[in-house]
Formats: sequence, C-alpha cells, structure tokens
Amino acid sequence: MIGTAANVVSATARQNRVTLRKTVVSCALLAGALLLSIVLMSLTGSEQLPASASLCALASFGTTPCGLTRDQFDILFQIRLPRILLAAAVGGSLATAGAAYQALLRNPLAEPYLLGISNGAAVGTMIALVFFGANEWTRPLLAFTGALLATLAVYRLARGRAGATPERLILAGVIVTTFLSSVIVFVTTLMDATRIRSFTFWLLGDLSGTSKTLLPVAITIAVAGALVLTLHARSLNLLMLGERDAFDLGVEVRRVRVVVFLVASLLVGSSVAASGSVGYVGLVVPHLARLSLGSDNRISIPAAALGGALFVIVADTVARTIIAPRELPVGAITALIGAPLFIYLLKRT
Amino acid sequence: VGLFSLSHLQTKAISLAALVACLLFFSACTATHKTSTENSSAAREIIDDAGRRVSFPAQVDRVISLAPNLTEIVFAIGAGNRLVGRTSYCNYPAEAKAVAEIGDTLHPSLERIISLKPQVVLISTASQLEVFTQQLQSQNIAVFVTDPHDLNGVFRSIEQIGLILNQKEQAEHLVQNLRERANAVEEAVKQKQPVRVFYQVSAEPLYTAGHDAFVTDLMRRAGAISVTADVPGAWPKYSNESALAAKPEAIVLPTGGSMGEGNSTVTEALRRSPAALAGRVYKINDDHLARPGPRAIDGLEAMARAFHPEAFSQ
Repeated sequence: MIGTAANVVSATARQNRVTLRKTVVSCALLAGALLLSIVLMSLTGSEQLPASASLCALASFGTTPCGLTRDQFDILFQIRLPRILLAAAVGGSLATAGAAYQALLRNPLAEPYLLGISNGAAVGTMIALVFFGANEWTRPLLAFTGALLATLAVYRLARGRAGATPERLILAGVIVTTFLSSVIVFVTTLMDATRIRSFTFWLLGDLSGTSKTLLPVAITIAVAGALVLTLHARSLNLLMLGERDAFDLGVEVRRVRVVVFLVASLLVGSSVAASGSVGYVGLVVPHLARLSLGSDNRISIPAAALGGALFVIVADTVARTIIAPRELPVGAITALIGAPLFIYLLKRT
Repeated sequence: VGLFSLSHLQTKAISLAALVACLLFFSACTATHKTSTENSSAAREIIDDAGRRVSFPAQVDRVISLAPNLTEIVFAIGAGNRLVGRTSYCNYPAEAKAVAEIGDTLHPSLERIISLKPQVVLISTASQLEVFTQQLQSQNIAVFVTDPHDLNGVFRSIEQIGLILNQKEQAEHLVQNLRERANAVEEAVKQKQPVRVFYQVSAEPLYTAGHDAFVTDLMRRAGAISVTADVPGAWPKYSNESALAAKPEAIVLPTGGSMGEGNSTVTEALRRSPAALAGRVYKINDDHLARPGPRAIDGLEAMARAFHPEAFSQ
C-alpha cells in the first residue's frame, strides 16, 4: 500500500507527467460522477417532483421555475439542493482529512471518527451551542479548536520512545474517543431534556438541519482544504518513507506536519459543526481511492475529496428516503456501508 | 496492518459473544423472576398500559413518580402528601418541589428510590426503564406503567392512579370535570372546518408528533388535523420537504413553561409555508401539551382558541 523508497525517489519527470495525467483524468471522471449524482439525487426525495421540470430549473440555476409550483421550487432549491451540497462538503472534508491523517501518521487506520478527532469537534460544537447558542459562527470555530486539541492529544499519546506505531496510535485514539464521549455525556446534562434527543441524533451525523450560514463556510473550507493538502501531497509522499528520510530529501517536516494538522482539523471541525460526526467516510473513501488509483497522494488526496463528496451524497439520499417521510441519521448509513466494506478491504489486502 | 486488523476483528467477535452471553444470562434471570412474582398472592391487581398485571398492597402510603405528568396527577387527585419521590422535571404544582428528587426521568437513582421505601413507583414508557423495572420488582416495589396515546388514555391513567392510591372518588370527579371541559371545547369547534396543522416538536433536526402521540388526538379534538397524524411512532424525525409539501395552514410551537425559550421559532423549511406566511404560528405552553396529565385540557383549550378564535368570541 505504501510505496517503496526506490520508486518514489526515482520519480523522473516523465513519471511526474504520467502522474499528472492520471490525476487529471481520474479527477475529471470523479467530478463528472459527482455532478451527475448532485443532479440525480436532487430528483430523489420523500416528495415526488416532476423530473423534467426539475431538471430544467436546475439547468437554469434556479432562475426560472420551469413550471414547478412555488412549493416544489422551494423544496428543490431551499431544502434538497442545500442539503446535497452540504453532504458533498462534509463528505469531501472528511475523506480529505482521512487521507491526510493516513499519510502523515503513516497509518492506514487513521480516521477522524476512529481517532476521536470528530468527538473533539463535537465537544467544541456542543460547548458553542450551550454557551453561545444564538451565534452560529462560534460552532465551526470551537469545533476546529476541539478537533485540533484532540489531534494533538492523540499525536502526543501515540508518540512513544519507539515512535508512533499503528497500534499505539489506535490505542491513543480509543483513549481520546472514550474520554471525549464522557465529556459529551457530561455536557448533555447541562442541556434541557427536550434537546438531548435531537443531540443524540446529531451526534450520529445528521444533515437535515442544513444551516444557510454554515453551508458556504463548509463548502469553502472543503475546497480550500483539499487544494492545500493536494499541494502538500508530494511532501506527504516523502513523509510516508519516514520523517528522517523525508527531512534528508528536503521536506520541511515540522512545517508540513503543522499545516496538515491545522488543515485537517479545520476540515473535520467545519463538517462536524454542520452535521455532527459522520463516521467511516475518512476511512473507506481514501482506501478505495488508493486501491483503485495507487498510493500516490497527488492522486489519492484529490480523488478522496471528490469520492467522499459522492459517497456522503448517496448515503444521505438513502437516509432521507428509505423510511420517508421519516428519516435516519446519515451517520448510521455511512457506518452500515462503511464498516463491512472496511472489513472486506482489510481481508483483500 | 493485516495482523492488527485480525486482532481488532477478534476483539469485536469476543465482545459480541460476551454481549450475547450477558443477554442470555439476563433473560434467564427475568424468566425465573416472573414466576416468583406471579406466585405471590396480592391484595388487588390492576393491568397497566404495558399489559402487565400489577399487584398492590391494600393501602399505599408511599409512592414515587418518575414523570412530571404523573406527579401532577397524584397531586390533582389529592394524594400529594403520599408522594415521597419525584424527578427533577416535576415542577408542578409548587408543592411538588418540596418532595425528594430521585434524578431525572431517564437517569433515576435506583439507590435513592429504594432508600425512600416506596410501595409503588409510577412510570411512563417514555422513560424506557425495562431493566430498572425488574430491579424494583425484585425489591417488592410495584411498578405501574402508564402510556396514554389519546385523551381517553389520560383519563384512564388518572382513574387507575386513583384506584392505586384509594382516591377513587377524587379521581372520578377530576376526570368528570376534565371531560366536561373537553366536551365543551369539542362542541364549540364541531361545526368548524378543521385546520391543517403541523406540530413542531423541535426545529433542527425536525421532530413532529406522529400517530401514537397523545397531542395528535388533542389536535383533532381542538378542531384541527395534524398533517403528520398517520406517521408511525409518537415522536418521529420528519422530512423537511414533506413538512413543506403538506402545506400546513397553522403551526403549533410547544414552547415556554419548562422549555423556556427553546423551540420558539419555526424551522427554516417552513418559513414560507402557508401557515407562516399567514402568521398562523401558535406558541402554546409545552407543559400543557407534552405532559399527558390534568393540564392537557389547558393545552386543548389553548389550541382550540388559537385555531378557531371566532368560536370562543362571546
């Protein structure tokens, strides 16, 4: 799964060109699939909308109703499309963050949800909700802080004298996750009873409360984060050889580590603030990307970003239609698809 | 990685096996327990809303309530002085606050309850306390479950609690009084065109009242039809787009009371619904709608006056 020293170091200009072409082609295909899924999933929901009129309205970017009634138009553009776009932002963010953590920590099991980083962001969001309820901006800010603190805690706990072994990292993740879960339980006691139920739903990952304030924030962070991490992909490739080797090859190890931790925490923070903890996305999607496209981060990071968006859009469509007009939390669906797929992937490798 | 994942899987398998073993052990315990309670002779027996045959001593002097509506019922039938424990949510009537607290509905303290030596513990199924119930029964404490799905169910709860506490006449009198008030409301709105209502339990995520919620019956009696009356369950999470597509003519926001400022704004998806555009958004005291007790009639009256003000103008 992780490339050997020889083939990364001997990457010639020709190989770089091949990689670039492979990146562009695979990303173009994934972007096409993403666009198609946004359109198709916009036609699916608990309410039936006329397909051709909806397509016409979508093609006009919401400028003409194309014969949709006002309610149908509102359902499409005020409820369904914003939710799909949020699903894309959340999925893209989590998968990118997962790919980055896996490369930086040299551990294929690193995942925001399993390492407790999502829980850190959840604690931050809950504190924002309890103490600054009205001000939505505090949510991604405190979620980012929580994710960053959790990341640092896991990283410090995992780094023993022998370095951060995969087992140590996962154990550190388990400790941080369980500790933060108890913090979450404690914070829920500060909330009134009527809100606890909706919080348990939110903790599992739920996209129904799409906030018009947080949607543009989440999309911006998802796109910017994926770009920044893709630009650091070469350094991450070298870091996968080991920190000392990477340093010898001219990688500013410390700076790259700080940038990746900050950006990944920002990605997890913004998605958790908007939708709670959607699990397994950061695990399954980068694995699929590496299995199908190889372990070069210059391909697998942007591919994971696009694939994550696609994955969560489809999962959320299942969540909102399978027992319509009632709904399931999207996190239940991603875990339901993600956990067995993960087992299958592990058996294959 | 392969090695590690294997051990990870094995841990999962082992914990699953342990869980199954625990469940088997536990169900075996309950099975033996059931036979022992059935054998004990009882002074009187009442069948509760969970279909359980519960036996009570002839005289009940010490009772604990695990839900605010049950506390209100105990006080309303004049047995408040026999209430020895209540939840932190039980804030009505004012005298209830002087009674010892045993935790909240979802996390009651078993030790505190047992140390208060009650003969009867009243619970609502909303509290989902199956394990807890078994532990109380093993202490010879009768557990009575109420689970009303409509106003008649509330009346039945009041009469049953009256029987348990030997306050039969007071309970019947209370029910008669409440029934008259309910009938008066229904009479007043009988000729009116029913209003199509969306009941918003919480905005984000959107929860509503489904088929099994007693407020669904309350809305029908108040001259309205809940647009989610046929959705399975009591408090389902509901699709934003289905809520908008149902075109509610009015929206009920249960808020205030113990809820404070919570749930006082319409969910974003319904801001352009006919109800919100026409200004037919009614905030009604949550304590009168969420508690299937005597004050539910206050909630019924408030809703009927909101939906059909002209029917109550004189």
